[in-house]
Amino acid sequence: MATSVYLSNPVVTINSVALTDQCTSATLNYVLEQLETTSFGDTARKYGASSIVSLENNSVEVELYQSYAASETEATIYGLVGIQTNIVIAPASGAASATNPIYTLTGAYLETHTPINASLGELSTVTLTFTGGKLTKAVS
Amino acid sequence: MANYIVTSNRLVGYDPGDVITDADLEGANIDALIEAGHLSTQSAKKPAKTKTIETED
Repeated sequence: MATSVYLSNPVVTINSVALTDQCTSATLNYVLEQLETTSFGDTARKYGASSIVSLENNSVEVELYQSYAASETEATIYGLVGIQTNIVIAPASGAASATNPIYTLTGAYLETHTPINASLGELSTVTLTFTGGKLTKAVS
Repeated sequence: MANYIVTSNRLVGYDPGDVITDADLEGANIDALIEAGHLSTQSAKKPAKTKTIETED
């Protein structure tokens, strides 16, 4: 039987700071760059091989509600622009397991932050894209 | 190794008032945590010494 995932309470931690309660969406992209290995004699394009490990090119995009209160979104994010940090994302709180894998992106870089993103009558949000870094998946 | 006092309730795994070291924050950017108000570099104050004085009635 097919199963569907409804994520109501994933865990989002940025630079060891829990921001789950400010987060409305999170997208983690795990990418290994495609390397062409096609050679003479091949009749179709080939990419990768068992002996070839390409570079990871991971990214995380999160959307957070903006808050200028002490130790909240703006204070936490502002100092991360232009440097590397760690991001932890899991489908749910609790220990790592096969059904609740905890993904850690180590050394992710934040290039851009939008301290002001305001529209009349709407809650202010910030969308952050962290790029690079090494992804690990913990299941125990 | 520097010690830090946790000053917010958002630092994962720690409560305000906990004293932690660099090793506890491996991979995290400590300067950004201090700037954001999650950590303080000030050392924890020792509790004031109390002295019991017995008086004779």
